[in-house]
Amino acid sequence: MIRFSDFSRETIFLSRQPYVLIFLMIVLALSIFSVWSGIAETQAQQNTIESLLEKDNVDRAQALEKQSSYGSAAYYSFHLTYFPPSPLAFAAMGQRDIYPWKHRIRMLALEGQIYETDADNPELSFLGRFDFAFLISVLMPLFIILLLHDIRSSEREAGRFDLLIVTARNQHTLWTARALVLSIALMLVLLLPLFVGAAIMQASLSKTVLMALITLAHLLFWGAITITVGKLMAMRGQSSPRIASALLALWLTLAVIVPVVSDTAINKTVKSPNGGDLLLLQRETVNDAWDLPFSDTWDAFLSKHPDWAEHTQMESSFEWKWYYAFQQVGDQKTEDLSNAYRNAIAKKDTAAGVVAFFSPPMMTQRLMTSLADTDITASLGYEQRVRDFHQSLRYFYYPLLFNKSEFNLQVMDDLPRFLP
Amino acid sequence: MNATKQIMLDEWRYWQRTKLATTVIFIGVVLTLASVVVNTIEVRQAADERKHFQQVSESRFLEQPDRHPHRMVHYGHYVFRAPSPLSMIEPGVDAYTGTSIFLEGHRQNSATFADQRQSSGLTRFSSLSPAFLMQVLVPLLMILVGYACITREKEAGTLNIMLTQGVKKREVLTGKFLALVGSGLLVLLPLALASIWASVTGESIIVTTGFVVGYFLYILIWGAIVLWVSTFSSRKNTSFASLICLWIALCILIPRISSSTAASIVPSPGKLEADFAVLEELRKLGDGHNASDPAFNQLKANLLAKHNVNDIADLPVNFRGVVAEYSEEKLTKVLNQFAEIRMQEEVSQAEIARHFGWLSPTVSIRTFSMMMAGTNLETHHRFLREAEALRYEFIQSLNHVHQHKLDYHTDINRYRDDVVARVDAGNWNILSSFSFEPQPGMARLHQSLLYSLQLLFWCIVTLLLIKRASRRMEQ
Amino acid sequence: MPDQVVAASSLCVKLAQNDVIDNLNFTIGRGEVFALLGGNGAGKSTTLKTFLGAVSPSSGTASVMGLSVDADINTIRSKVAYLPESVMLYGHLTGIENIEYFLSLAGIKQAQPEIEEALTKVSLQTDAWHKNLSHYSKGMRQKTAIALALLREAPVLLLDEPTSGLDPRAIDEFNQLITTLANSGSTIFMVTHDVYGACQVAHRIGLLDKGKIVGMFERKNNAHIDIEEVHAAFSQGKIK
Repeated sequence: MIRFSDFSRETIFLSRQPYVLIFLMIVLALSIFSVWSGIAETQAQQNTIESLLEKDNVDRAQALEKQSSYGSAAYYSFHLTYFPPSPLAFAAMGQRDIYPWKHRIRMLALEGQIYETDADNPELSFLGRFDFAFLISVLMPLFIILLLHDIRSSEREAGRFDLLIVTARNQHTLWTARALVLSIALMLVLLLPLFVGAAIMQASLSKTVLMALITLAHLLFWGAITITVGKLMAMRGQSSPRIASALLALWLTLAVIVPVVSDTAINKTVKSPNGGDLLLLQRETVNDAWDLPFSDTWDAFLSKHPDWAEHTQMESSFEWKWYYAFQQVGDQKTEDLSNAYRNAIAKKDTAAGVVAFFSPPMMTQRLMTSLADTDITASLGYEQRVRDFHQSLRYFYYPLLFNKSEFNLQVMDDLPRFLP
Repeated sequence: MNATKQIMLDEWRYWQRTKLATTVIFIGVVLTLASVVVNTIEVRQAADERKHFQQVSESRFLEQPDRHPHRMVHYGHYVFRAPSPLSMIEPGVDAYTGTSIFLEGHRQNSATFADQRQSSGLTRFSSLSPAFLMQVLVPLLMILVGYACITREKEAGTLNIMLTQGVKKREVLTGKFLALVGSGLLVLLPLALASIWASVTGESIIVTTGFVVGYFLYILIWGAIVLWVSTFSSRKNTSFASLICLWIALCILIPRISSSTAASIVPSPGKLEADFAVLEELRKLGDGHNASDPAFNQLKANLLAKHNVNDIADLPVNFRGVVAEYSEEKLTKVLNQFAEIRMQEEVSQAEIARHFGWLSPTVSIRTFSMMMAGTNLETHHRFLREAEALRYEFIQSLNHVHQHKLDYHTDINRYRDDVVARVDAGNWNILSSFSFEPQPGMARLHQSLLYSLQLLFWCIVTLLLIKRASRRMEQ
Repeated sequence: MPDQVVAASSLCVKLAQNDVIDNLNFTIGRGEVFALLGGNGAGKSTTLKTFLGAVSPSSGTASVMGLSVDADINTIRSKVAYLPESVMLYGHLTGIENIEYFLSLAGIKQAQPEIEEALTKVSLQTDAWHKNLSHYSKGMRQKTAIALALLREAPVLLLDEPTSGLDPRAIDEFNQLITTLANSGSTIFMVTHDVYGACQVAHRIGLLDKGKIVGMFERKNNAHIDIEEVHAAFSQGKIK
């Protein structure tokens, strides 16, 4: 049983070691940096969204003012959709630099618009962000290995081992107390900035606590492994560098090799339609419609919207209702391919979730991004909301177009608004 | 020299006997080899696929039936970027940028379908690319192999024996250094072979040579770092722990910190924000679809005066085509202006991150490697510019056809049932074929000059450090 | 001897299939100084480590105060103070801080005056008490460790090559200290290859060769054990 006195003795003891203190200070600085840069980026995104929303309203109002028909109103008015960063996004930026979190769409065929990406600087995405999730999932194991691998072996190498175990009332409490003090100190310097950041960003307490628990679980995993391997190898007389090498090899396997090899395997097994095919098909269908008999478009359109069957007569060779009908038909024809494309992403994500069971660093990363709503699921969810919003635009305009209503700017006040 | 050689051979024999070092080197070579093979196959597939798509896209355009030329402006065209030969070693930003762009009238679309958006999300920290292995893992392997190269001799007292027997410090250090670099070179071998292969398949020899030399310097730098720490430490454990800390800092921390710093200091320029500004400008320019937009009154007056007629119907050209051409030109100017600003901003953001190369050789080699391989941000921008040039060219050619091959009267009555407002499909031949060629070798060498300087800077710094540490080596 | 404080009975230890200690039998009584004398590789340190529980006997028993090392090692450790061949303590702590730390490991709380008293007793110079241990000489480190042993009030002292690497003056001081300790009732078990030192302090000397006791010498009439005799046996034993 570890007594409080063991604990306080080791705390005082370790606090007198300058290396330990410097190490912990550096980790604290890293944690502060990760949280600071996360907050800076999240706030920049929030500001961007705010200013875009403002501009979006002005722009749409200006565009609508000049219109004289609902058809051209729909053609010229764009709508901002966006996916604001969650309060915890600062801790795990996740996939937000790759998947779009803002789109401006209009009532044309959605498949032609949704793959447009207003992505981040690719070179920065390539280098990757130093966020809290990265600190915990990839670096923390290394910190733990550095701090805890030689708890026993360093004493043996310094010639104090025998004296220590003969003197100590119980040698296990000695090692356990040291490991605990170091782990708790590491935990504190890692988590303190997170809590401050969460308070600044007003993140929900429960999610912040969950985030801390994930950190704790990951720390426990590596702590247990490091101590066990350290003990077993030290008992066999292995030197500290050898113990650390073995642990680093394990880290390399779990943090690098398993994810990388699985990624290659997943990409080989999960078949995904090629984006190029999707784009070409969507363009062909939309453009071909101009040369096809009207009935082709109407038949396909009415199969989904039979309500408008009585309103398909054409008075000239161009009418907006027909124009939007073939835009919709374009989406309908690419629907299978587009679904398959998204399903492939979701499938790969699911497979990656399975792989994560064999890679605690990946597991940590996934859990954190999922808590912060910055994972692939969240991005696909946003895409779905964009699709739903686009749908609501269609339902708004169709009655106006098919019933040949006189254009009235006031009606546009009821335009659907995107809600994140 | 003989003593140096002896020391080098002795170090290798030690590695062989302890097995740890040989295992580590073996794993390194196998990993690099595997990644070179996997990536070569993948890049070849991608290259074939994109070539195929490019051909399909071009032939589809040419196969379009007789149409109104403006319909072809909206039909548009796709261009695909062929991967550079060296991207099988250094994929660079390729996975994060889209590789295809849809070109159409009145718009500049962004590149779509980046590989990373189609990936499992497992490769955000590491990737199987040979470049990642060389940049991040090889230093670790060299540390595991060589951390004790001097401290071991110190602890066993053999260093003092050697020195008192008249072996010079420089010979000891050189011997150990060569032994260490040798281990790194073994891992570099698959990469060098792949580079030769890239030369065979069309990459400029200057580039591939420079590329391999860059990685060679990187191995020298890490060999020197390992030797330096081993020289100034008095114990194996200290040299090991210090080297691992250095590795974490230089290979993992600083590259990421560079990116986070750049992202926090210079806010990311969003395309959407620029879009608003473009729309604002466009409203002033007038809508090119609507020839009666008052914005074109001046154009109309000039044209009427020039041809000395009173009505646009009497003009020898189709006025709607003139407006389309005129507004496309104005619009493209605005679009390009914003696109250039955005690219500039991206480059200056990336440059902040690249300056961290003075703090970490990993950042230097990464930038250098991307520059040489042609998988850097600037190459992506060049692709965007070339695609834009192609877009402008075929759109304006179509507008020219619109002006000269389609009668104005027919055009304004195009929606009437009895009117056929189309031009012959033969006119679609104006599309020139697109192929994205890598920059010439010298240009790439020139671009990467600063980063090769960074690498040389590291060589010098580490050598000076070793020199300093060697002064108190005997203690 | 009144009672057996330290005892080995048919003690055998195998390390990596080799018999390092082969059927060892001896007992040490209260207040006695027993030295196990032997050359390099005779099995001295292994014997000592068996009593510390760092090495397990393959057969036979090693016991301290009637407790077997197999069964009760934690209790034994609380009664034993150990002085390694080369005393290594924490370099970043002062002598007093080191003692405080190790005492608290043992669960003992000693006030500053007692620690100072012990340091005086082992004659560690006062100006070194508050210096970091990294500045200590080998003899000073050893004195610190002996002070620690005194403060632990452990009835049994296990010493591994206590005089190796010490200068003659330090050896004399050490020998005096050991004699004083023994007189005050401590049981002292030392292993050494120093014939002179052993003869100076030991009540009995066991000559160890290849894991076996090949000779036993005893003080007669309170006079020191005869060096010449031991030395002759030692050299002979090595020749054999």
